[in-house]
This record gives sequence, structure tokens and C-alpha cells, in this order.
Amino acid sequence: MACRCGSPGSGGSCRRISQFVLKVHSRCDLSCDHCYVYQHADQTWRGRPVRMPPATVRAAAKRIAEHAREHDLPVVHVVLHGGEPLLLGAAGLREVLADLRAVIAPWTRLDLRIQTNGVLLDEELCGVLVDHDVRVGVSFDGDRAANDRHRVFAHGGSSHDHVRRALALLRQPAHRASYAGILCTVDVRNDPDRVYEALLAEHPPRVDLLLPHATWDRPPDRPGDTATPYADWLGRIHRRWVDDGRPVSIRLFEALRPGGGGTEAFGLAPADVLVVEADGTWEQVDSLKTAYHGAAGTGFDVFGQSVDEAARHPGVTVRQAGVAGLSATCRACPVVDRCGGGLYAHRWRTGSGFDNPSVYCADLRRLIDTVAAYPPPGHAAGSAPPERDDWPVDELLDELATGHESERTLDLLAATQLSITRALLAAWREKTGPTAAWELLAHLDGAAPDAVRAVLTHSFVRPWLVRRLGPSTRSGPPRAADPLPALAVVAALRAGVPAALSVPVRAGTIMLPTLGSLALPYAGGESVDVTVLPGGFRVGDGPAEQVVSLDPAGPPPAGWRPTRRVPVPGRHLLIEDGDPHRDCYGQPVASRLDDGAARALGRTLADAWGVVHRDVPAHAAALDAGLRAVVPLTPDPTRPLRSATARDAFGAVAVTPTADPEAMAVLLVHEWQHAKLGAVLDLYDLVEPNSATRIRVPWRPDLRPPEGVLQGVYAHLAVTQVWRSRADADRPEHQDAPAHAARYLSWTRDGADALLASRTLTPAGDRFVGRLRHALEETRVGPG
Amino acid sequence: MDHAPTRSSRPALDDLRRSLHTPLERIAVEHADLVATVRQRVLAGESMPSGAVPVAAFNSSI
Repeated sequence: MACRCGSPGSGGSCRRISQFVLKVHSRCDLSCDHCYVYQHADQTWRGRPVRMPPATVRAAAKRIAEHAREHDLPVVHVVLHGGEPLLLGAAGLREVLADLRAVIAPWTRLDLRIQTNGVLLDEELCGVLVDHDVRVGVSFDGDRAANDRHRVFAHGGSSHDHVRRALALLRQPAHRASYAGILCTVDVRNDPDRVYEALLAEHPPRVDLLLPHATWDRPPDRPGDTATPYADWLGRIHRRWVDDGRPVSIRLFEALRPGGGGTEAFGLAPADVLVVEADGTWEQVDSLKTAYHGAAGTGFDVFGQSVDEAARHPGVTVRQAGVAGLSATCRACPVVDRCGGGLYAHRWRTGSGFDNPSVYCADLRRLIDTVAAYPPPGHAAGSAPPERDDWPVDELLDELATGHESERTLDLLAATQLSITRALLAAWREKTGPTAAWELLAHLDGAAPDAVRAVLTHSFVRPWLVRRLGPSTRSGPPRAADPLPALAVVAALRAGVPAALSVPVRAGTIMLPTLGSLALPYAGGESVDVTVLPGGFRVGDGPAEQVVSLDPAGPPPAGWRPTRRVPVPGRHLLIEDGDPHRDCYGQPVASRLDDGAARALGRTLADAWGVVHRDVPAHAAALDAGLRAVVPLTPDPTRPLRSATARDAFGAVAVTPTADPEAMAVLLVHEWQHAKLGAVLDLYDLVEPNSATRIRVPWRPDLRPPEGVLQGVYAHLAVTQVWRSRADADRPEHQDAPAHAARYLSWTRDGADALLASRTLTPAGDRFVGRLRHALEETRVGPG
Repeated sequence: MDHAPTRSSRPALDDLRRSLHTPLERIAVEHADLVATVRQRVLAGESMPSGAVPVAAFNSSI
């Protein structure tokens, strides 16, 4: 994605900030004795306005919008914070939210959140939050004794009932979409079982557990004899959580797992957050207030300085330096990728500043070990449903790295892709509100799930949704039509369920994914009524109506262009030359093939399928499990053999039509590796994000980004295995196979070694490429 | 009041698997965080900052 911030005069390197905390109210209606805002070293709140003035809100919003525009950010997250943000009242909150939306939303997707103690939350405030699509995090420490140990009013009274009432409000169906979760601060004097049970009783979508703020100057309480009371306490909850089948997302535990992605408190990912105080000053991450008075300050404010300028403050940049920004002790630690040095504020010690491990270092080390060790191999979680069996990351990636996966792994990859599409569909429903198409699709999801699955696994549903849900294109092609009606009609057709919907028309055609397209006999109209009939459908009504029979034995209906199918073992493969969303490969896709060309491509594909089974049965199993569609690319005489994979279009590959099944087999194997790796990269970070490193590779003249090298290496591993197999078979038509095998082996080995030496891989990526390298050596000495 | 803003992270495998068994109409409610994470991860390059390869198009050179 292009970023405009590198223009002359901008100074420094690009530093995108996507998360902003707005201190919209600087006072609080509770008096919690563990609050870093009021009770710790920093006391700057005393000199700040009680609430953020409207002009400051607008100035902050303009700065955020400006930053989103300059950096083409697809989304920014704005968290309303305090103090207690609900002290704004419904009218004040509505005003702030409206201002933020009006200024920021034209430039990027605005994800609004609020963090509250919940005391003031009522029906009216819930209505405001739901209306403005704000997700609510509530601070709540568990059972009454635990919560009221700290979270009390100034008069000492309990807040427990107030907060539980707020949580009950958020659980109501009308408000549930705004319920983000519970934030619970740990106190090891509390009973972990009771805290865990109290949190679960509130049915939060997510829980986060926070270590109480402390520094080396002001260490945490450590009651009892144990050296690691926080690890022990959290370890107890972790065991309960695993044994219960992980009934709720607990962010801390998920972040600490291998490949867990991290939070601000854990992991090495850059911290891209800035705070706007009630007076408009830019500040660094809020928790620094626990270190010393003024620790979070930058000296900048939204009236005088842009986000880019604030982001270049040394205190912000050091948080984006990954492992290089950590103390020597942390850099040498074997679990640094999980821990990331812990929360920045917890490293503070007068004299050495933040150049220390976390004051919780011993606890973090032990907790990481606990999370990694439980459940032990073979452990069956008591009440976990069978579909939630564990998928150890290392095992999954190890298998995929070899290019020889089990059916279980391949099924899992496909299932995650379907799940992502369904999540995007849910996001689309959130955006559009209820429609007849949605109601039909949701009904069929329960009544005819196989029919819905068949259409949602179509490779070009996700590209369609991504185009609709992505940031508005102020330049570029017009938006795609609403995908839902066509998807619902296809699901109804497949299920044999009568239905009628208005379906968008594009260029005089309606597209029914996986089935085909219909060129309408008359021009005009942005949509047309489609009625699902037994064995077909009717378009329009009155004199212009047309009935389309989908009976393949019947006469071809006028204007109907069915999606062609190629029989392959156990099923059919689609030749997808009609779906407009197939145009996602960065190179021209062919227009609809004539019948002769389609038959020829079908023959080549079927024969190529046999070749793959002959040469590399393991890769054939992978194709059998996942490849659903082949998109013909526009032929180019100067580059006759081309192929491509699109990250959003799992299940499809694009190829130039060729008559040679041996060549087509290599293209399919090559591209399916990209497809598998793309699905893996949806789940795991194998390459450090934002790496500016470029790597020289033997198969291209240009320097490549690390992910490109990883993609090339993974594809070439499989191609090496194809040619190795052909070389071993010693067929007369493959006399050049040993040379090809040697060339791909060399490319793959050199590419993998360059990646391993580049220090651009995450620990999971390091392991993945290491395993791949090992698989390559096995290929070198034996059959592929 | 200690709220670490949500960091863009990957969708968790367990969440993805669980949501497959959730009716379509309940996903936004019961898996709201997953929907948010998927949006962040998948939409228009957020998961693909500099150096990522959103479209893998390689000459196969066979």
C-alpha cells in the first residue's frame, strides 16, 4: 500500500499510528486505590480540564484523520478513556462520538471503543453506544470481595452491584454487539477460582487479565513465600480455563502462546498508540504514569503538532524497535519473543530508566512456561467439545513446512478460510443492517447448511466482501455490488428452497457465484427480481420475465452462461471465467472462453491432475482437498506460462491456458503452495511486520521483501519435489528433469538460507523455514 | 482504568473453529472480537504492512 508520508520535508521514517486513546474526561466517580492515573507517581491530572473541550475533540479528530489520510490507514482505533468517560453523560458522549465520526470516518474505518468502570452505564448510554457502534470494555475484578478490594467509591462503598448491573445491560440482545469484554486487574490475595468463576458468569466475549502496575522503584506486593506469586495465581486460572475447554477468549493467555500476536504488555510487535489528554496534549502510552511524574509527556499537543511529529518522539519510537529496544538481559532471554520485555512501564528503575527487564520478569518467565506446558501432550480437556481439540502451533507449522500435510491439517486450513469469510459476511451485515437477502441466508444457514457452505467456500466471495468492506476508494474502480442477494439466491437454488430477492445487475448481467451468469435481454435497471423455482429460477416479471432451467440435460437457456466444470477424482473443478471478482491477481484475466477453448483447458487440467498424482501424491492430496477453481489468465505470447494466486481467493489459482499437462501440473503444484501459505499467513505471523529488509533471490533480478522470499521458497520446495520425482522416474520425455531439480533445489536452498540469515522471521517463521530447509535436504537425497 | 488498546492480531484458531458452529446470524454477537480481528487482519492491507505480498504472482519459469 502506498504511503504518502515519505514526501520531502516529512522528516524521519514512516511511523504509522493506528490506535488513539482520548482522555475525554479526567475525573472518576470511583476511587480505586490501584489506579495509576490518580494514585501513582504521575499527578498531571490535577492541572487538566475536567472534560475534553469540544474544540479539543475536533482538533484531535482532525489530526487523526490527517494521519489516516497521509498513511492510507485502513482503520484507526479510538478508545474513549478517562478518568471515567461516561461522566460525559449521554449528550456529551453523543457529541464527542458524532464529532469523531464526522471528521475521521470519511478517510478510514473508525473502530470506536470505550473503557469504563460501568457504574453510570444505563439504557440511554447503552443506546448511544450501540447507535455509534462503540464497543465497551468494563473494568471489573471478579467476585465481590475481589472487586471491592480496590474498586470502591470515595466513601468506601462497594461498586460491585453497579458494575454487575452494567454487565447485565450489555448482555441484553439490543446491546450485546457493543459488549467488548472485561478488564480484570490481578490481586494475588484474591481467590483465583472465585475470580475466574465470577468473570465467566458475566458471559463476556473476552477477558483480559492485567498485572497491577509496578516498577523496580515500587515493586509489586508479593505476599507469601513463593518467588512467583503472579505466575502461580495466573497459572491456576490458566489450568481451569484449559480444563474447561477455553470457554471464553482470555487475551493474556492467548497472547503468550507461540505465535500469539501479543498485546501492549507482551510480545515484540511495535506499540502504535498515542494518547490525547483532556487538554489536548499528546502523550505516550498511559501506563507510564506509574513510573514518575510526567513520564508519559511529549511536550506536543494536537493544536501544534501532527500525529507524525508526536510519533517521532523518542519515547514512542523506542516502543517500535522490537527486540533492539529491550535491555541486554531481555535480548539474551530465550522467551523474549513471547514476553517482549513485558509492559514498558514495568521496566522502570530510577538510574537505568527503562533499560531493565520487567519487574515481573520471574513471574512472566514462569507463566510462559506454564502456558506452554499445559495441557501436556495427550491431555484431554474435561468438558471441551470435540471440535475444540488443541492444535499446537508448532505441530501444525512443522507439518505444513514440509509441503506434505495430513488431511486433517488441510481440512483445518480450509475451515479457517471459510470461517474468515463468514466473519466478513457478519461484518457486512453489521454495516448494512437487516436485509431480505441476509434473512434468507441466515435462515438457510440453519436449514440447509451444506448449501450455504457450498456458496461461501466459493473462492471469490471473500474478494467481493473485501472490496465492499475495505476503505472507501476515493480513486480507483467503483464499488462492487452488494454480494448478499446473489449469495442467498445461489444457496436457495442449491437447497431447493423457494425464495425471491432483488439481485444487483452489473453490465446487463446477474452473476450467481458457482453456477454462472445471465445476460439480461433488456437494458436498464440496477437490480432485477429473481425467484427461485424448482430446478431453476425466474428473472423479472410480466412480459419481460425469463425462466432459466439449470437442468444440464435441457436446452441451454438464452443468455445463461453456466460455470464450466471439469471432472477430477471425487468431484469437479470450476473453470472460473465469469465471476467479476476473479480479477484479483494483479494481471489480466481472460474473458469467457469459447466452448472449444474451455474444453481444451478442461482436458489439460484433468490430465494435469493425473500427472500430479503420478509425480507427487502428497501434493495431489493437497489439491484434492482444496483446489476448487481455475481462472484462465489472458494469454501473452511473450510469457506463455504464467500463474498466480490471490491471498483473498483461497481455493482458486490463475493460469495461462496451456495444452501441456506436464507443465500445467507444475503450475498447479506451485500455485497451491502459495494458496496454502496464504492461508497460514492469515493465522500466523511468520515474518516480522514492517521489516524494511529486502533480500536478493536467485529466481528474480529484483530485491524481494521477506514475505515474497518466503512465498517463493515454499513454492519452489514443491516444484523441486516434482522435478526430483521426474528425475528419479527417468522417463524419456523428462531427460531435463535432473537439471530442473538441481536448479530448483539450489533456488530453494539459497532462498531459505537467505531468509534464515535475514533476521526478518518471527520465531514461528524461523522454525517454519528451518523445517522447510530440512524437508529440502530429504528431497535432495530421496524421492519427492 | 488500565486499558491497553486492542492491537491488531491474528484470528485465533480456536475462535475460527468455534465460529463455524455458530449460526451466521449470531456470529457478530457471539464472536464480535473475531469479526473485529478478521476485519483488521484481512481488509485492505492492514495485515500487510510494508514488505507483505498481498498477491503472489510469480513466473513459474518451468
